[in-house]
Amino acid sequence: MTHSRIVIPGELLSDRAEQIPYAFVEKGKTYSTVVGLFSEGKLVPLEGPYEPLEGDIVVGVISEVKFSGYSVEINSPYIAFLSSREIRERYSMGDAILARISMVDEVKNIELSDAKKLPQGRLVKSSSVKIPRIIGKKNSMISLLQSATGCEIYAGRNGYIWISGKGDQSLAERAIRIIEVQAHTQGLTDRIAAFLKSHSKG
Amino acid sequence: MNGEVAKAPELYKDGRRLDGRALDELRPIKIEARVLNDADGSAYIEWGKNKILAGVYGPSECIPRHDQSLYRSVIRCRYNMAPFSGLEEHGKGGPSRRSKELSKVIKEAFENVIISENFPKTQIEIFVEVLQSDGGTRCAALTAAAVALADAGIPMKDLICAVAVGKIAGHMAVDPSKEEDNFGESDMPIAFSLRTGEILLFQMDGLLTKEELAKGFSLARAAAEKIHKIQVDAIKKVYTEPKEERLLLIK
Amino acid sequence: MEFINEIKRDVLSSVLKTGRRADNRGRYDYRKIVIQPEILQNAEGSALAAIGKSQVMAGVKFDVAAPFPDRPTEGVLSTSADLLPLASDLFEAGPPGDDAIELARVVDRGIRSSGTIDLNSFYLEEGKVLALYLDIYVLDHDGNLIDASALAAMSALLSTRMPKVEDGKIIRGEYAGKLQLKEKVVSCTFGKIGEQTFLDPSLDEEKGMDCRLTLSTTSTHLCAAQKGGWGSFSERDIMELLDISFEKGKELRAMLK
Repeated sequence: MTHSRIVIPGELLSDRAEQIPYAFVEKGKTYSTVVGLFSEGKLVPLEGPYEPLEGDIVVGVISEVKFSGYSVEINSPYIAFLSSREIRERYSMGDAILARISMVDEVKNIELSDAKKLPQGRLVKSSSVKIPRIIGKKNSMISLLQSATGCEIYAGRNGYIWISGKGDQSLAERAIRIIEVQAHTQGLTDRIAAFLKSHSKG
Repeated sequence: MNGEVAKAPELYKDGRRLDGRALDELRPIKIEARVLNDADGSAYIEWGKNKILAGVYGPSECIPRHDQSLYRSVIRCRYNMAPFSGLEEHGKGGPSRRSKELSKVIKEAFENVIISENFPKTQIEIFVEVLQSDGGTRCAALTAAAVALADAGIPMKDLICAVAVGKIAGHMAVDPSKEEDNFGESDMPIAFSLRTGEILLFQMDGLLTKEELAKGFSLARAAAEKIHKIQVDAIKKVYTEPKEERLLLIK
Repeated sequence: MEFINEIKRDVLSSVLKTGRRADNRGRYDYRKIVIQPEILQNAEGSALAAIGKSQVMAGVKFDVAAPFPDRPTEGVLSTSADLLPLASDLFEAGPPGDDAIELARVVDRGIRSSGTIDLNSFYLEEGKVLALYLDIYVLDHDGNLIDASALAAMSALLSTRMPKVEDGKIIRGEYAGKLQLKEKVVSCTFGKIGEQTFLDPSLDEEKGMDCRLTLSTTSTHLCAAQKGGWGSFSERDIMELLDISFEKGKELRAMLK
């Protein structure tokens, strides 16, 4: 996080034409398109919609049962499709699943594979740009959340988080909300650890 | 005004305007980003006595479907005035011809900068609510909407802003107040992309010479630089002073 | 999305049985309430009330109007509500729908039947009275818009300045003292899932609950009520919830200045 600065849409990132995700080039110069953190040639958006990419592991909710498969809501304006051929289990509407995006085409038709039904729990709707922080470096944050609350937590790349298990789900959700607001700040893992400790039952 | 012609006040005297401003001086402007919970992005602006709230939703599935584009996101805008926003009588419900026109020109300004090709088959909705009006609402609304769009993470080629210039008592003056607009000789709202220098919203009424128009542009551009800085500060404040709860604080 | 609601109902019901709600509230706790009176200058009265993440503004404007023929000496009170599209992706632009009309009417009934406003004091001259327009402007929707609207409305009325009237016309920008009010009307809205009742439903809870009950009270009387949703309440439910409404009403009234 050293030397990173907050940039805004239209802000100059480089006097040269550079290929940087979330940036654009005009007349040989590179500008940001989003509110983001910029450091060492890398631009990380601080807000924004989920843009589905092949290979992403996502948490989704079955929104329609069709003859040949399922429509799945994945926190995107585009509904994903999961073919019955891809799976062995059967799902009902409202079931939460973990799945991999296997295909995204030009007009944003999205297909899923490797699906697995998630155990009973609650859905926390976060944002895809917050997920790296909720998972943490080498899973540090999500491990902390799981061990302190006793819940199982699945963080989809799409910004949906599924909390299940016998632990304190409400505490886990509140901790996630704090991470969302403070995602760009330093020393967050320590603050979350302190929060979880002071709010844990028993 | 109940049919009576109100007497025009003296708009410019001894180098000062009615409210004490110089010709190139803006009214005080304050912007707060992220004041709503449900909207994907939001901003509240106080500009003089104008109080305006902007909220953005999207990109989301475009409904009705026959409005969808396979190539880009469809941008929609609704500018609306609260029935209690004016000093005069209670406003009537439903969009007026004026608010429909303003919705259209604001939308078209944003169509220039929003990178809508990223989101085919979707819509991006911009809603602005004028809670209190005091002249120059369309410029304040567009300025707030730009911050709300950035707050929603909608990719844009620039953070645009707008300001009006007027002609009062024979002088070109930036950011006319309601009284100056009512009794002045000309009103000209302009939205800029300052990065490129392009003009994205441009309207005018009254009579101006070519020289006055040029003077108006330079006044507006200098003011827009100041407004843009206030927008940027509002966006950065969301991250430099993060808040646990989103609340619209007015005063 | 019918199916989501069915699932929400199951989850909510099992959570309620623990005595704590999803956001860790007790059964009859309000979320955090913030009231800001006198926020606008052009309107004669205004306020913003937030209950949790729900935010509602109320504005008051006066005009001169003709009285209703059957009440020639009484002023007019007109309440409307806008569920603004920026408040929720559930709301659409356009003329008020059923929900907005119900919201406005429930708030209006509480104010009207409490008699807190003396409409006779709005009489100007033969054929001319003052009309008070109370506009409820929903800015952010996270459930229980009725109570938030009632708080915003009451706070706006408490801050309302009477317009100065000369020769049967309002002199805009000049005022003649405050609007006199006899009572502070507040409302308490309860949700019900199965046999369990709870106060101040969040949007998530509203999506899964069977029905709701709104009880508007003065410090001494019930002054308006509204049951909504497909479920049912027993007489005993209503009596018990009225006791809670009087109790909570004291707290709400203390927040209204």
